[in-house]
Amino acid sequence: MAETKNMIVNMGPQHPATHGVLRLVLELDGETVVDVIPHLGHLHRGIEKLAEHKTYHQALTLTDRMDYTGALINNLGYCLAVEKLLDIEGEIPDRANVLRVCLSELQRIAGHLLWLATHALDIGAMTMLFYCFREREIIHDLLEEVTGARLTPSFIRVGGLADDINDKFITKTTDFIKKFPSRVDEYELMLTHNPIWRKRINGIGIISQEDCISYAITGPVLRAAGVSYDIRKAQPYSGYESYDFEIPTGTTGDVYDRYTVRLTEMRQSTRIVEQALDRLADGPVMLDDFRYTPPPKEDVYNSIEGLIRHFKLMSAGYKAPEGEVYMSVEGTKGELGYYLVSDGSENPYRFRVRPPCFINLQALKDMSVGHMVADVIAVIGSLDIVLGEIDR
Amino acid sequence: MINLTIDGTPVQVEKGQTILEAANSAGIRIPTMCWMKKMRPIGSCRMCVVEVEGLGKPVSACDTMAAADMKVTTQSELLHGMRRDALSLMLVGHPLDCPVCDKGGECVLQDMVWEFGVTEQPTPGAQPTRDIERYISPMIKQWADRCVLCARCVTACKEVKGIGCIEIKGNGFDSYIGPVEGVDCISCGECLSVCPVGALTDGIRDEKARIWQSKRITTTCGYCGVGCQFDLNVLNDKIIRVTTTDHDKLPNFGSLCIKGRFAWEFVDHPDRLTKPLVRRDGELRETTWEDALHTAAKKIKEVRDAHGPDSIAGFASARCTNEDNYVFQKFFRAVIGTNNVDHCARL
Repeated sequence: MAETKNMIVNMGPQHPATHGVLRLVLELDGETVVDVIPHLGHLHRGIEKLAEHKTYHQALTLTDRMDYTGALINNLGYCLAVEKLLDIEGEIPDRANVLRVCLSELQRIAGHLLWLATHALDIGAMTMLFYCFREREIIHDLLEEVTGARLTPSFIRVGGLADDINDKFITKTTDFIKKFPSRVDEYELMLTHNPIWRKRINGIGIISQEDCISYAITGPVLRAAGVSYDIRKAQPYSGYESYDFEIPTGTTGDVYDRYTVRLTEMRQSTRIVEQALDRLADGPVMLDDFRYTPPPKEDVYNSIEGLIRHFKLMSAGYKAPEGEVYMSVEGTKGELGYYLVSDGSENPYRFRVRPPCFINLQALKDMSVGHMVADVIAVIGSLDIVLGEIDR
Repeated sequence: MINLTIDGTPVQVEKGQTILEAANSAGIRIPTMCWMKKMRPIGSCRMCVVEVEGLGKPVSACDTMAAADMKVTTQSELLHGMRRDALSLMLVGHPLDCPVCDKGGECVLQDMVWEFGVTEQPTPGAQPTRDIERYISPMIKQWADRCVLCARCVTACKEVKGIGCIEIKGNGFDSYIGPVEGVDCISCGECLSVCPVGALTDGIRDEKARIWQSKRITTTCGYCGVGCQFDLNVLNDKIIRVTTTDHDKLPNFGSLCIKGRFAWEFVDHPDRLTKPLVRRDGELRETTWEDALHTAAKKIKEVRDAHGPDSIAGFASARCTNEDNYVFQKFFRAVIGTNNVDHCARL
């Protein structure tokens, strides 16, 4: 018998399978994975530290730049945390809450579409990219029309929303959610019963419920393992408790289960958007509290009281009461939490993010060991990681 | 000593103190806009209103003497409303100048309006008629429409400087700060240093900066031996203006003369000597400090050794600080050994 030696291989940071800049050091026995060590930090920008030097209002823009596939949900989590800190969480106008839910769910669909497109592309199903991006474009056009930006809207603000939507948004969104379920059917037609696709993902990257919980894994990865845990149901925010939707779960916790869970989530999100549009009533989209929220623009331009309020809020910023809060939302990838500590000044004393991707990525080794090199790519895809959030 | 209670806290003060001074000594904040420690109470802004038990209506804390067994309340719904009303009235016809006003960000009016949450004008439509902008002296710009008529400038000119060249003219909406006939302004800038809003600004440099953009460096005035303290406002390593914020501190209590406040442009004048010169072959040439000091020391030593210490005289400058001049005369007396020391004694 000839003596054999394990081989160390670098995967990334420029490998096409990594959505972002992740470097994996693989130890291989032939083609079988023996060890996986992720090397993080290539995309580190010091977001948490930067936020400590910004006012609560300014720090919002940094949250967009973490998970850029779910920027509006990042905004929402941060705003909810600040609102809890300021003790104005119960005063957010109804219309703002409904629109927050509506925009969050559209963002979730867009995030999941990006995942499906790239995940399928990684495994070799290139056509999916074009189908998914077709729908994702529609959502991004919608978001652009409302927020002015496609990826980094910073639209959900402390106290409500930056601006109201227009009627065009409602008709276009209604149009989209009518069409979208049939589009999901198309994806399923191409993938779910496709033997090549099933061979690549069935029984790959299995993780048990117990392991998920001990890793603190959340989001679709946890639900695929059979745990029905979703922040929207477990600790509802922005009125999610009043919407009718289901939490899809898997049984085995393999890559296939994570695929089906996300597909079903897209359908459920469509239902939520539909309900949100139905209950959208007229009203303000921003809380009117001179201490924390900017006045309407016509006040700023036409009255000295409004101008002074705007000037002070935008330059000095408001002081938050001393204390600490933790607030989490169901991001596209899992539980996205914000932990803020205030020392009573205009800037957060500590700005800590609980990043779902970072925590979910820790299970990569457990999921990959014993599988082939090519399966690592399927597993990474199924984790749906965004390095902007992992490295921050 | 008299004993009184402010917001439930027992306070002991000397007789002759106002309620405001009593509150300040106990660390209780009463909002003020026109009051300044170095001047007599003006009582124009009505921000310091307090309730005193037994008196029919609220009184201003700045000019009401503290009396024995007084029970004072500084915060209540009524007082809050009165302060808001007073601010609203000040805002009548106030121009939308915050973005272009020099004072934006360090304006007492802005701070108060935000603190008390004045968000709308209960008496809209009323517009005072005032001049928009003019110079009251070549140094001082007046923006009459930004003025809240607190009379700080008038009082400071009269009480601190003893000049009294400005006064409140006109009545009602048409009131404005204007010159007194026959009394000349000396452009000391006292008025603009006490202005709580941006109604009086300096007209020296066009470069301006918000308070959080420029650095404030507290330093000693280089003009005479008084040693006035002021803050140089520095933007991109260039002085943009001189301010005084500390109106309670020796030696100048925030006051300056025309030179200290406005005559600082020489600092970066192109004609100014910035490198040492040594005369060689009848011509002044640029050199290093090392060489210049070495040459001077050598020459002084040569002269002293050849002709004795009294053949040398030292002539210092009144524009140096006292500390510099002290070292200078010490050097001449102790090191060189002569009492021939003098200085220009004028500016």
